Amino acid sequence: MTETLVSIENLVKRFGKETAVNDLSFDIKKGSCTALLGPNGAGKTTTLRMLAGLLHPTSGKIAFDGMENGDHRKYIGYLPQHPVFYNWMSANEFLIYVGQLAHLSKKESQQKADELLELVGLIDAKKKRIGGFSGGMKQRLGIAQAMIHEPKLVMLDEPVSALDPVGRREVIEMMRELKKKTTILFSTHVLHDAEEVCDDIVIIRKGELALSDTLSGLRKKHQHDVIIIEAETDITTWAKGLTAIDSVHEVSVERTNATIVVSRLEPARNAILQDILTKNIPVSTFKIGQSSLEDVFMKVVKA
Amino acid sequence: MRQWTVLFKKEWIEMTRNFKILWIPLVFILLGIMQPVTSYYLPEIIKAAGELPEGAVFEIPMPTPQEVLVQTFGQYSQIGILVLVLAFMGIVAAEKNSGVSDIILVKPVSFANYITAKWVSVTIMTLGSFLLGILASWYYTGVLIGDVEFGELLKGSLVYGTWLVFLVTVTLLLSSLFKSNIFVAGMSLLVAIGLSALTSLLSKWMTWSPARLSTHASSLLLTGSPDKQFALSLTVSLLLILLLLVSSIYLFAKKERAA
Repeated sequence: MTETLVSIENLVKRFGKETAVNDLSFDIKKGSCTALLGPNGAGKTTTLRMLAGLLHPTSGKIAFDGMENGDHRKYIGYLPQHPVFYNWMSANEFLIYVGQLAHLSKKESQQKADELLELVGLIDAKKKRIGGFSGGMKQRLGIAQAMIHEPKLVMLDEPVSALDPVGRREVIEMMRELKKKTTILFSTHVLHDAEEVCDDIVIIRKGELALSDTLSGLRKKHQHDVIIIEAETDITTWAKGLTAIDSVHEVSVERTNATIVVSRLEPARNAILQDILTKNIPVSTFKIGQSSLEDVFMKVVKA
Repeated sequence: MRQWTVLFKKEWIEMTRNFKILWIPLVFILLGIMQPVTSYYLPEIIKAAGELPEGAVFEIPMPTPQEVLVQTFGQYSQIGILVLVLAFMGIVAAEKNSGVSDIILVKPVSFANYITAKWVSVTIMTLGSFLLGILASWYYTGVLIGDVEFGELLKGSLVYGTWLVFLVTVTLLLSSLFKSNIFVAGMSLLVAIGLSALTSLLSKWMTWSPARLSTHASSLLLTGSPDKQFALSLTVSLLLILLLLVSSIYLFAKKERAA
């Protein structure tokens, strides 16, 4: 499970003077599901397009299953952010067409097409022209075409961003299914989606690697206990003073609300409660929780 | 080879579904029929238009059947080329613009297969439409004006057809390099018109020009033999077609993977 399928080293892509991807390195493990996470414009699509062979990197290496710089296209399935098909073809025809382009025989192609149409829930629409498909149906057909030649790596560019909640749910479920069969790399700007299906997370910011870790590692390292305090008056000065306490890690205040990140919960809680009593702070809420990954994401992305 | 066949078949299904397979030959056939028919009925048409003063006598000489066919070539040099360019300007560009090429080219598709499958389809379509059109013209010329030997017709037509193939190959190259359909169409027409104009203006230096092929085709029909330097012009045209095709593949592959 820890074998590396793709390793990316010092990848750079410049468009004229603009650097879209800068010195990016990370690995994708065989059989894993990796999320490429970052705000809009971070270089996610550019990175995926380079991996798919649609773009040539300015410099850097992409090694696929130990092979460098060859034509990796037959091992890769790719779903673009806004998939476009031949509108005059039916879903079934299109799948057979791309299957044959990937060197399947017509018969194998038909067989795979049937399987995949079933999997993505388009079996009833298989004879319909793609021109009349909804956004969600196109997305699902896009996933099917990416899977047709049983690629070793499936890359999905923002597969759920344009979908409504129902469509989103369906695609996430589908990805869970796919995960059992192949390695997945997908990009998103929503951390929540990544959390639902992924094992590994790569966060990029302005084309550079900001963080790369497993989801559980990320949780362990970056998820802290927090104490949230709300008061009836402005507590800015008081809260800032709390950093003097040993086990308090970080304090952020917004007038009447304070969020306190602590390294050890027990002593910090006692010390703060004591301080509240001695200084007579009019507290209305005192809550203990955990920082969400969303906070980690925001912190990494904004840093 | 199997992949090439798949790509080739797709082009034909597409041309069937968007009716190109119907209307391109139809335009050529209509143009072909119109030429002998209007030549034959010209005196009647002028009479019927009734704009002539009373008693005016016009002697309009009936053109020879060969002349009618040469005039048909003239029609194809204008409207025919326009139709071909407009029909094929998006052959590659439209797929890039819509984004469907992202899905196609990420499959292990050879760029050479992709371009040549399109080129062969376009060439068959062009030659097929043109030959159907000129056959229709030949038939009606035979009925209304006079016979032309089929062998002569075929020789002249094949020479003229090479000029058309050259032009659609230019369109294919431009389409695989540029995104804008309008630009591709404009540039293709500019090549057709510019090359023809240059060839007749500098006829002494431009004996090699592919545009000379239409002159050769005309003299093949009218005099039975081509103009001077026919072999040169034909060879250069065929070589240029090959060169354009190879550059299309090479430049398309390079551009696709670098942009």
